[in-house]
Amino acid sequence: MSSHSHVEGQLPHEPERATLEGRNKITGFWLFLGGETVLFGTLFAAYLTLRGQVMDGPTPNELFDFALVALATALLLTSSLTSVFALQAMHKHNVKGLMGWLIVTLLLGAAFLGLEIYEFNHYVHLGHTFAASAFSTSFYTLVGFHGAHVAFGLLWVILILLQLKKRGLNTTTAPKVYVFGMYWHFIDVVWVFIFTVVYLMGKVG
Amino acid sequence: MAAANEQTSHRSDVKTTKPEGSKKHIIAFVFSILLTFIAFALVMAGEINTDFIYIMLVVLAIIQVFVQMAFWMHMKDKGHTFAIIAILSGVVVVFTCVIMALFWTTW
Repeated sequence: MSSHSHVEGQLPHEPERATLEGRNKITGFWLFLGGETVLFGTLFAAYLTLRGQVMDGPTPNELFDFALVALATALLLTSSLTSVFALQAMHKHNVKGLMGWLIVTLLLGAAFLGLEIYEFNHYVHLGHTFAASAFSTSFYTLVGFHGAHVAFGLLWVILILLQLKKRGLNTTTAPKVYVFGMYWHFIDVVWVFIFTVVYLMGKVG
Repeated sequence: MAAANEQTSHRSDVKTTKPEGSKKHIIAFVFSILLTFIAFALVMAGEINTDFIYIMLVVLAIIQVFVQMAFWMHMKDKGHTFAIIAILSGVVVVFTCVIMALFWTTW
């Protein structure tokens, strides 16, 4: 495509696509994201089926709080934007900027995860435990799986940061950064459906 | 289109202010915030028509996801045919499962 025509210094403009391995990595990751779509889709389907079965536990309407969800959404959405800035810094071969924006993304993601842990802990005190009802089980499975993905993403970006510090930006590290960016956007896209289907619809019905 | 972007962003590599294309990502961000805000406002206002709110929420979420996937995940760019196929094949399964779930619970 475009990478071969612009050589600047040693690195091409899009270092993530400079090698066949890098391009294959990106293609393979799209296939993985297709699989992730199925994973979350089935969890959403299970939640939609079971969300009315609250038994003696609290209902979604009693449980959810607009302010908390809005804050979590703002944190994750902003972290998605800062990971875009990280990739733009990478395309300018600005390693400092790249690492700086990745650290901002890491911090915002950690804040989101902290908020979710606080939220779950708060719910358990209200009697909304994992085994309280079919609603609570499907809720924790769906939202918890998303939270686990965020936690995994945080570990991943820490490892990428360490590698960037050690090896710098080259055609091996660049595809890793790019693929992480794709993963992080996907996590944000899943969250859009979670706040819509779980939280907002829980407040409506 | 992609080639033109390539050249302009290459020129801006020579220490100008912002990289080319930063603007459209910020517009996507503002748009996402706006869509989220409308979704929250619809629910917080309450008491219109439950079915209408459900449909609006789903529409708003799908628009937001399209914006983010097109701009942030670059799916609108050239060379993303496989990406679209991969995601769409996932979406087919999701639709099957979700329609089954709705069928069980509401009909």
